[in-house]
Amino acid sequence: MILIRQRMLFPGLLMVLLVLSWGIAGGAIATALASGNEKPGDVPQRPSSKDSKSRSKAANHRGPHRLVVDKFFADEVWAKVGKRTCLKCHNVKGDASDSKFLLLNPARDPMKRDEAMWLNRAAFLRMATAKAKGKSRLLVKITGGLNHGGEGVLKANSTGYRILERFVRRMSRPDKGPPITDLDAPPFFDGIVMMPPRRLLRRVTLSLVGRLPTKEERAAIEKGGLKSLGTSLDGMMREDAFYARLREAFNDILLIRGYDGVAERALSYEHFKTRLWYQDLNPRKGLSLEKARELFPYSHPKMIAHTKLVREYREGMRREPLELVAYIVRNDRPFTELVTADYIMVSPYTARGYGIYEKLKGKFDNPNDPFEFIPTKIKALQSRNGRQTQESATGFYPHAGLLSSFQYLKRYPTTETNRNRLRIRMFFEHFLGIDILAMAPRVNDAAAITAKYEIPTMQAADCVVCHKVMDPIAGLFQDYYVVDGKGIYGPRKEGWYEDMFSPGLEGEALPKDEQWRSLQWLGERTARDPRFAIAMVKHVWHILTGRKPLLPPENIDDPLFIAKHRAYRVQRDEIERIADQFTEANFNLKVVFKEWVQSKFYRVDGLAIAVKEPRRLAELDDIGVVRMLTPEQLERKLTAIFGKKWGRMTDRESKFKILYGGIDSKEVTERLTDPSGAMGAIQRIMANDIACKNVAPDFSLRPEKRRLFPNIEPNVVPGANAKSDKQIRRAIVHLHKLILGRFDTTDDPEVQRTYDLFAGIVKDAKSRKGISKVESYSCQTLAEKTPRDPDPDYTIRAWRAVVTYLLRQHEFLYE
Amino acid sequence: MQRRNFLKLCGTSGLGFAVPVGLSSIARAQGAKAELPSYNGPYYVVFNAAGGWDTTYLMDPKGMNKMNRLYKEGDILTQGRHRLAPNRAHIKAGMSNEDFFKKHGDDLLVLNGLDYSVNNHSPCSRYMATGKLDSLAYPTFAALVAACNGPDVPLAFLTFGNYSATGNLVPMARVPYLQSLNRLANADGVNGSTRSNYHDDFVSDRIERALEKQMQARVAKVRLPRVERSQSMLYAAQLNSKALERVTPFIPKTSPKERLSRQADIALASFKSGVCVSANLSIGQFDSHANNDRDQMKLIPEFLAGIDYLVNRAEELKIRDKLVIIIQSEMARTPSYNNNNGKDHWSIGSIMFMGSGIKGNRVVGATDEKHFLVPINPKSLSTDREKGIRVRPEHIHASLREFAGIHNHTFAKQFPLKVPGEEQLRGLLR
Repeated sequence: MILIRQRMLFPGLLMVLLVLSWGIAGGAIATALASGNEKPGDVPQRPSSKDSKSRSKAANHRGPHRLVVDKFFADEVWAKVGKRTCLKCHNVKGDASDSKFLLLNPARDPMKRDEAMWLNRAAFLRMATAKAKGKSRLLVKITGGLNHGGEGVLKANSTGYRILERFVRRMSRPDKGPPITDLDAPPFFDGIVMMPPRRLLRRVTLSLVGRLPTKEERAAIEKGGLKSLGTSLDGMMREDAFYARLREAFNDILLIRGYDGVAERALSYEHFKTRLWYQDLNPRKGLSLEKARELFPYSHPKMIAHTKLVREYREGMRREPLELVAYIVRNDRPFTELVTADYIMVSPYTARGYGIYEKLKGKFDNPNDPFEFIPTKIKALQSRNGRQTQESATGFYPHAGLLSSFQYLKRYPTTETNRNRLRIRMFFEHFLGIDILAMAPRVNDAAAITAKYEIPTMQAADCVVCHKVMDPIAGLFQDYYVVDGKGIYGPRKEGWYEDMFSPGLEGEALPKDEQWRSLQWLGERTARDPRFAIAMVKHVWHILTGRKPLLPPENIDDPLFIAKHRAYRVQRDEIERIADQFTEANFNLKVVFKEWVQSKFYRVDGLAIAVKEPRRLAELDDIGVVRMLTPEQLERKLTAIFGKKWGRMTDRESKFKILYGGIDSKEVTERLTDPSGAMGAIQRIMANDIACKNVAPDFSLRPEKRRLFPNIEPNVVPGANAKSDKQIRRAIVHLHKLILGRFDTTDDPEVQRTYDLFAGIVKDAKSRKGISKVESYSCQTLAEKTPRDPDPDYTIRAWRAVVTYLLRQHEFLYE
Repeated sequence: MQRRNFLKLCGTSGLGFAVPVGLSSIARAQGAKAELPSYNGPYYVVFNAAGGWDTTYLMDPKGMNKMNRLYKEGDILTQGRHRLAPNRAHIKAGMSNEDFFKKHGDDLLVLNGLDYSVNNHSPCSRYMATGKLDSLAYPTFAALVAACNGPDVPLAFLTFGNYSATGNLVPMARVPYLQSLNRLANADGVNGSTRSNYHDDFVSDRIERALEKQMQARVAKVRLPRVERSQSMLYAAQLNSKALERVTPFIPKTSPKERLSRQADIALASFKSGVCVSANLSIGQFDSHANNDRDQMKLIPEFLAGIDYLVNRAEELKIRDKLVIIIQSEMARTPSYNNNNGKDHWSIGSIMFMGSGIKGNRVVGATDEKHFLVPINPKSLSTDREKGIRVRPEHIHASLREFAGIHNHTFAKQFPLKVPGEEQLRGLLR
């Protein structure tokens, strides 16, 4: 048995040392890449189970199954030792590929997971029962005996070794050790309360389309319950707001808007003479600077219009790749087009940048709409002097979805030392859901290895293990090698590097005659990779919850390891289930949204009974959406509830966006998910200001026009009589429903608390001297209104306090 | 009243801040008297030279074997026990090594021969920041110390970049503009005004009490772990945000142009006003694969000038004696130049410390003439090629945790470094 030595990449003295760890979620990359065509050497073959519905759920399973392995093997031997330690080398493409002890990666192809686990157990069993010097070969090898290629992997007193020892012992006699797994663990979601459909509907509409449910949607959910949600979701996913949300969400993942420089620089100087087309329309064109300033100051209507045009052109240019995402989904096209689309999206303005507007203008519904996008192909690129044309058998640029997108390639540029490897890291992360730098096993002396080899990436075993996977893919991007972000397309003058593994993918070499379309070649294979579907399902989970799916636990000595692993496994099962649905639906991404929204993971609302047991608490640690709204979501929610935008979270001049945890896609790329004190202050500002701007103005409208107070007037005071008190409580119920999404009765304790606040304020005001009889100057209906809104009983201001109070609550600020 | 109630509330409910909202020792000490939380030091600052600095142009000079084109071995300078690369003649702005070591050498502890162990930015940054290479879950030292010492101050952990994971122990705060602190300081004033509030005082008080009662009711309810955590964090964030009003007097009227100085001003104003425990300060572009000398001669002086600015301003604010400063990068540069006059990634580097309680004018560890690491004896801290250990980030972090007095804190134990006792660096910092 050979075990991986600590792995690391060393591109040599003359190149970036790009370390790739294959230690990733669900297994090492090297083994993750040892994929569907793997055939374990001497492992007996079993019938394949391709029916996804028949897959067992090791974490949840409660009955016999043809291919189910015992929990001891699944939770202990495999989860703690096999997957983390042995699989790295003992796979058909690993360092121990010539060993008889070959394992399969169950995470590689979810459709065959149970089969893989069954075969792995068989392989372990054979090693465990084989003897060497009277001892199990498994235990001898793992500690470095019998010339184990990976030398000593586990120490004899380590947790991992003890697990294997027990596995061996269990082969011959009853296991008297401590219980390892609670075989009678209740189903994972036992004791969990699911969100009632009408609240779920509100959550979904706010999340996906930034509005409250319509009357029709509410009626449908009241009548049909959860089952009717699918139809409502279909409707939502036809709305423009959904596609705005989709663009925003995929930018969170791809960060594609954050490329350097002004937007039109995605189009290179070398190939697009037209990229600055707007300059011809500048009113100042041809004028001296002095004259230009005199005749056309920036405040001049023509300059304002021109500035707007340029801004919209640039916005369109940054948005193009995200419009591809929207186009695919809107038209129910296979989402694999993300990496295979043989077209790009252009607007009337960006088409001008490519120099193709005249040919396309008849295809736009409104050629004056800067944000109408249509699909098109562009011709093979031609150099500025016209002497060189990009090689293309079709005459077109070889579009391959985002892989060949100018904006995407510019967002992740290459350098002489990086040699496209950043792009490969992003390729794995974005399209296969693998963070290749997530974990980086150390070597004993990285510097010494670097110095020892002339080409460490091709010679040093510690480096080769990763570079032989990564560098061939880097070679597929070789024609897009304009370094330092100064352009996109352009093969390296000296030819591609010979001190790198030659272009290809997972052992398959790129055919010479396919080189002109190498990214299409890559995209086609990526689309067929089972990990693509998994990655997209994980992306949608991220969109819906603001966080990535769970990673498997790391510390096998952690007493809560099994609980944490179960939580990971159950979620992973759901991801795989939805990935199956997605695949079967011809990669329609809408299916993924619908499946997630209706899954228990998204619908969890609370606990039915208190949980004290640490293991169960660990299992439930990540359960529930419970997401603090992003600045953009908060703005949309405010607009949905109050009917007008606040703006201070997201306007261009806003300083709150980054302070409140937003991103700029470039320097700040990760959203904050927990509120700091600074964010707490912004929440207070928002609550105060929104209440101020909306309460008195709402009362100034006719009741039927009001959003906040349709059924009460300022002259209804608490404590006057039973009728008025009831009216106030009803008004509170309405506010709770509108702002918090609660469906309370008038005697609910939360309604009582709000009532007490309202009544207490009115009472306080009445008992104080010198209290003004009008609403404050800052919060009156109209700034210029005189006199200010009458508020003799202080009720308008008390209602303003109520709205402030509600806007500061968890139920409003989180989803 | 409200704050005391909240602390009591959390203590009795079992919330106990075993979740991200923490009950700091300071708050415990002051709980009965203080209305709002305040943290009074020590303050931790992590300076990060993002991209990988060339340590042979700073605190670990070589000059031999064509390692440095700007000076020879014989040009190496000394300041106290420090050896430094001369660079005054090659810089156009910022602070020279000569000036920096002359001014701060007595306070400075240098450790040379740190084994970053890997050679890529992402894992190296994570490793240097957390002391753990193979986990995405560990908090940075700055986040951990903030969580242990003052999680309830509103900007407990400030970050301006670099790897900033919190381990879900404490919220991370980003404050990119100094002046925005002014705006946040008076959240209850109309447009930030200190003279005109949205609500009358008695109304504001009613609102806060209603929120407090609601929190009390929720603590008594059965909740999912995520709900429990987020509700307590939200409540604390809003309640503690009022302490930001203390920042205003310490916000400078003008903001400096230099990147690190701007960050330093925000951190210092937050420290001084008791609303912050730790800060990550960072500038990038050190990744000098092309034109190493040009880039490093621009960036190292800028970096040193930023550190100097922080120390000077801290002196003015009378908190210099409470600062603990860690000066690091995620990797170093190769001992030779590539074809682009650049230097690539090198896994052996250095780290520096200065500040309160740190014994300065010291150099621990070494690299050899080829810039390979020389092991050290963890007990004596002297080099020991035969029996010494390779000092790695977990050793540094174990020392930092011990130095900060948080090594036995529950949060620290949640993220063990697993440094064997015999490998603990005895007296590294003190």
